[in-house]
Amino acid sequence: MAVFKDYKKQIMNAAHNERIGLALSRAIKSYRANIRSALQKFPHTYQMAEEVRQIKENAIGQMEKLAQQACEAIEENKGKAYIARTPRDALEIIDGLVGKGKLIVKGKSMTSEEIDLREHLEKQGNEVYETDLGEFIIQKLGSRPMHITSPAIHVPKEDVAELFSKITGQTLSTDISSLVATARRLLREKYFAADIGMSGANVVAADTGTLFLIENEGNIRLSTGAPPVHIALVGMEKLVPTFGDACKVAEVTWRFANYTVPSYVSLVSGPSKTGDIEKVTTYGAHGPAEFHVIFMDAGRTRLAKHPVLRQALYCLRCGGCLYECPVFAVTAGHFGDRYFAGIGAVWAALLTGDIEKGAAVAYTCLTCGRCKVRCPMKIDTPEMVVELRALLTEDSGQAVSFKLE
Amino acid sequence: MSKKPKDVIPPGLAYIGDNILTRNNIIGAPKASGAKWAKDLSLPTRSGTVFFAGCGYQYAGELEALSSLIRSMDKSRIGAELPMGIASLQKKIGVDLGGVYRKVMSKSSPSDAQPLVDAVAVLSKLGVEVGYLAEDEPCCGGLLHYAGMRREFAENARRVYDKLKSLGVKRVIGIVPSCTYTLRKLVADCVPGYDIEVRHFVEVVQERVDSARLRFPRQARIVYHDPCQLSRYLGLIEEPRRILKSIEGIELVEPEWTCGEWSTCCGGGGGFEAVFPELSHILAVNRVRELTGTGAEMIVTQCPGCIMQLKAGLKEVKADNVQVLDLAQVVAMAM
Repeated sequence: MAVFKDYKKQIMNAAHNERIGLALSRAIKSYRANIRSALQKFPHTYQMAEEVRQIKENAIGQMEKLAQQACEAIEENKGKAYIARTPRDALEIIDGLVGKGKLIVKGKSMTSEEIDLREHLEKQGNEVYETDLGEFIIQKLGSRPMHITSPAIHVPKEDVAELFSKITGQTLSTDISSLVATARRLLREKYFAADIGMSGANVVAADTGTLFLIENEGNIRLSTGAPPVHIALVGMEKLVPTFGDACKVAEVTWRFANYTVPSYVSLVSGPSKTGDIEKVTTYGAHGPAEFHVIFMDAGRTRLAKHPVLRQALYCLRCGGCLYECPVFAVTAGHFGDRYFAGIGAVWAALLTGDIEKGAAVAYTCLTCGRCKVRCPMKIDTPEMVVELRALLTEDSGQAVSFKLE
Repeated sequence: MSKKPKDVIPPGLAYIGDNILTRNNIIGAPKASGAKWAKDLSLPTRSGTVFFAGCGYQYAGELEALSSLIRSMDKSRIGAELPMGIASLQKKIGVDLGGVYRKVMSKSSPSDAQPLVDAVAVLSKLGVEVGYLAEDEPCCGGLLHYAGMRREFAENARRVYDKLKSLGVKRVIGIVPSCTYTLRKLVADCVPGYDIEVRHFVEVVQERVDSARLRFPRQARIVYHDPCQLSRYLGLIEEPRRILKSIEGIELVEPEWTCGEWSTCCGGGGGFEAVFPELSHILAVNRVRELTGTGAEMIVTQCPGCIMQLKAGLKEVKADNVQVLDLAQVVAMAM
């Protein structure tokens, strides 16, 4: 009960924190208005979402094959590709590439949160900058992300002003545009001084080995374009068979993340190259000379075998469900572990392998089902949550085999 | 840190689960007290079509008392887990602490079960005669499912089916959304060859409502709250609205974003109030604010859990002028 008690205490502290409630009620209101108009403008999205559900169902059934195929394509493009079975494997591969004492700029990635990548790299003696504004705020606050697309969703502007004042030693107002300009100034030189840029990916086309990176700030373009090395860490569930499939997945993802279209979508398939001098192909023209992609399993292929829980792998990480969860509206990411709300319980159980932790998150779900109404993949989270509760409470050994090592 | 798997069920849900298995109702009360509401109605206890009253309405007074007690414990430093754990333990050694609470705390009044009396009357006036199994009505066991007690739920499901069959039941008309969904879907999934037709009150009423000429005694601006299990689980969204719109004198209003399939949970979903009593109350207050934001003077819904939650929420925001009524009560008043 100790785990549950601590967790419940955290949840209740969050629920009594009026700033979280205030920040979220603003965010929910604007999300609903934005997605309504985005879907009105592009009504084909609904049908495309159904198509994407088929694409994902098919892809999740053959993740292993797609990962092999993507690795071959990336190698053919003169990049390097790896398959990491466990978080430890992933960290070892990354350590081998990074070494120590490096300056690293990083785009926001939930998969890297999963394995505490930033903390690990810092422990190895590297200097790491989160470049997504929300993630930068979280890093500087020493906090953790509270939403998958808007990590600092629970932090109101007053708190950001206080934080940035402390960093710069100047007294900053709560004017949002000047706060944004401050972050820009603080990070600008880092992109060009960095030894390594890191990112995740929203979706990957296995046939061409292309990573799709969706963003609005431009920090991912800079992080993956300016430094001499680009390393991407990608969950295996992000793989789909073809480039055409990936385009559809990307569009549905950003639409349900409430955008008509994001400012930037970067497609990266290999290192930077030129043949402009005597048609001799030379790597590292303006972008990175090295391109490394790590596909991480970390329980995903096992999860794919479960008839009910495999739905968690269809998730596009648009974050839409979180805006519809009544518990999330008052607790933010305290309801969850690395991933949040009801679907986050499945990930908590899978990734931590801790029955108590998984159960604590699973029993925080109302099973009210509004997340499913929002979900473009129509993931039945209440069904998964009840299944997970049954697995965790049964002594049939199923729960144990579901765990990671 | 190895845990016996059963230990991960939060004590509140474990307590309810135990009550279902040992007393055949979620509160652990004697079955006869649940059947009290119907004692003057002389409904047949054996019939092909039965009205399924469910625990929520029948023990509304007891549930309200117990939940307000747990909530205050949860706010204190004691927490809800300890008393729920103790209640289970004491029951094991033969002391029914829950029973003591119920006797002391229960403000059980006839009005708690009024929705049941009204529902039966409405059905009768619309030409639908039903029986009521009284003490023989089994607990659907839905909360065992949501608690994660899958094996116990499946065993209970089999007993429920056998009981209903042995009493000659062919058709069930449910009123509690969760019981109705459980009997229609979850129990059916556990029992091969399940052949009991399960419908909800609103389905039956909306088919017959046009001929009824309903008129509410006064002009009233009402907002309808969709229970999760009725709207998203059973897909009954238009039916209750059709009924309400057919009543002269009623103006139906809706919150901007949160109605129909987008309705916000009252905070009581799946036994949540037994696990997070205080948080559940916060969610109830949030939902009440969405509903009263429409300027309605009355909230109409049809779920004993929602009714309990919304009443507590209204009390918290001191909205004394707003009333919560069951749909069956509203229809009965309009007949």
